[in-house]
Amino acid sequence: MILDLAPLVCGVLLAVSGAAKLLGRRTAQVAANTVLVRVLGNGHRAAFALRAVGAVELAVAAGLLAAPATVVPGAATAVLGAGFVGYLGYAKATAPQSSCGCSARDEGPIGVRSFARAGAVLLCGVAAAFAGTAWWSRVARDPGWSVLVVAVAAAGLLALSTDLDRVWLPLRRLRLRVFGTPLPADPGGRVPVEATVELLERSLAWQASAPIVRSALLDAWDDDGWRVLRFAGVHEDARGARPVNVLFALDENATADANPSPAVRVSVIDDRTQEVVPVDLLALSGLRRPLRMV
Amino acid sequence: MACGSTSLWAGETTWFCCGSSWGPCGSAGTGACGTCQSSAHQAAWPNTTQACFNITRPDVCGEGIPRRGCGSVMNVKHQCSGAEVCVTVADCGPRTQSFCGEATCCNGACRTNRVIDLTPAAFSAIGNLDSGKLPVYIYE
Amino acid sequence: MSNRQDPGPRSGFDRRRFLTTAALGGATIVGASALGGIDADAAFAAPMPSLDPAIAKSTFAEGRITAINGSVLEVAGSYGEQHLIQLTHATSVWKLRATTADAIEAGDGLYARGVDMPDGTIAADAVWVNIVNLFCTVRGIAKDRLHLTHGDGNHAVVGRIVPETTTASYLGGSLTPDLSRVRIGQSAQVLGAWRPADDSVDIARVTVGH
Repeated sequence: MILDLAPLVCGVLLAVSGAAKLLGRRTAQVAANTVLVRVLGNGHRAAFALRAVGAVELAVAAGLLAAPATVVPGAATAVLGAGFVGYLGYAKATAPQSSCGCSARDEGPIGVRSFARAGAVLLCGVAAAFAGTAWWSRVARDPGWSVLVVAVAAAGLLALSTDLDRVWLPLRRLRLRVFGTPLPADPGGRVPVEATVELLERSLAWQASAPIVRSALLDAWDDDGWRVLRFAGVHEDARGARPVNVLFALDENATADANPSPAVRVSVIDDRTQEVVPVDLLALSGLRRPLRMV
Repeated sequence: MACGSTSLWAGETTWFCCGSSWGPCGSAGTGACGTCQSSAHQAAWPNTTQACFNITRPDVCGEGIPRRGCGSVMNVKHQCSGAEVCVTVADCGPRTQSFCGEATCCNGACRTNRVIDLTPAAFSAIGNLDSGKLPVYIYE
Repeated sequence: MSNRQDPGPRSGFDRRRFLTTAALGGATIVGASALGGIDADAAFAAPMPSLDPAIAKSTFAEGRITAINGSVLEVAGSYGEQHLIQLTHATSVWKLRATTADAIEAGDGLYARGVDMPDGTIAADAVWVNIVNLFCTVRGIAKDRLHLTHGDGNHAVVGRIVPETTTASYLGGSLTPDLSRVRIGQSAQVLGAWRPADDSVDIARVTVGH
């Protein structure tokens, strides 16, 4: 059963990868990243070689699908698979970061999957060479089992494909569209601290206190409708430089979406004495003079 | 090389890592110019070469960003705080076309589109890395 | 603005409460409504003093933390250099969120901004531990993680969604806990904390483009 269905599975596999190499618009681009460039001298020859391999794959695929019970197409597939393994081994040894060009869309470096895929072609070819019955007769005789075997083989080959994302992506998208996203929606709760920091860092208050603030956010807490953000800084005045805490208080529910220019309460507190340091922030930073508020 | 004072562009900056590094940055490489290091004051510019421009495509967002090759020197100024850092172009980026229309503002005055990427050393000199992006003026 | 003559925090006194009182009582209110906007674009056109790229006002250090001795981090730079990073109570520590020095572990990656000290150490103003900011493509979405690829080689990375922490921004909007608008196939900037143990990233924020 498996032997009889092998020509169908490898035929389709080779037809798909062969067509992609022969007709793919990006074959030249992919070829440029393969070890073939170094072996053959330039990118044009490498692209030609890749397209030629694609043509051979298509021819072998046609043989497998049309004359499954004969030995030649299976043997040709096995030779092709052995060739791929050899090519990968050579490329891996001489240029491990090069792309394998295996499916003409794949640009990742050569890895375990590339070898497994080439090995699968080899094994598939050997199996196909020993097929005794044409696959269409086998499918007609045991339709249920045939579908199962082909499905399992296809799943196995897909799992070996580095193009897996291209297969899964539309499926994953579809799943999300049907079942909705599993990610949490807005619970309508509190504004994230990061959003308040973002609001602060885009405010006039931040601009005004830039000459003093040295650290990134040290601490944040909510108190009675206010969100207080604490930064460390250095304040220089006639008495010299001293470490200070710079505290910003904003409405805990404010975001940049609703109010891009929020009012921010700024206070500078001496780190040693805990006294509020009188600082004319706007004058200090070269902005306008502030309104004095208590 | 000295950093100039002639207005070149304005927009958003983000930061990126390059060169030898830890974590996911380890695979970043030394960038399009081959000289990029996270610990140097360097930047990625969306139009270092035609190939670079074809990837970043700032024109899609209406940004006719001029070409400045590897080694160009720019002065980047945080629009909100006025903090400045002088950087050397060492890579191609950011992917402007992926974030068209995104704005970052200072007190309501907004800069749109990602037009420059800074190394962690350069970004942290004018802002905090956890902020992710900043509105900047760029001089040369 | 006013001076306050509070006795200052004592042990057992709620420092945050004290600071809140100080912050609200003695604050300067800075807001555009009171002042009118500043002319930012005029500032752009104004000439700038010339700067040399080699001169930096603050020092920057980068590398892996090899050992923690009290409040000093020994850091091995990615180019073979060694740094001693001195943490103080004024040093901000970021590791997925604003946290304290207790959260730092040997083996973590680090970026630090600080000031060179005469003894060769760097007094840190801010350290960011394991922080990464990756330009990614969203490849898959699950309840507790995003499957992402980043970089030229499309390296796969798992982005973990951390409850109460992970936020999202859509087209420049403000950060929100609403992650439900993230779509497969989108480009996304992921800012997060790398986890050295399993090479995944805890997502602090995901900024989604088109």
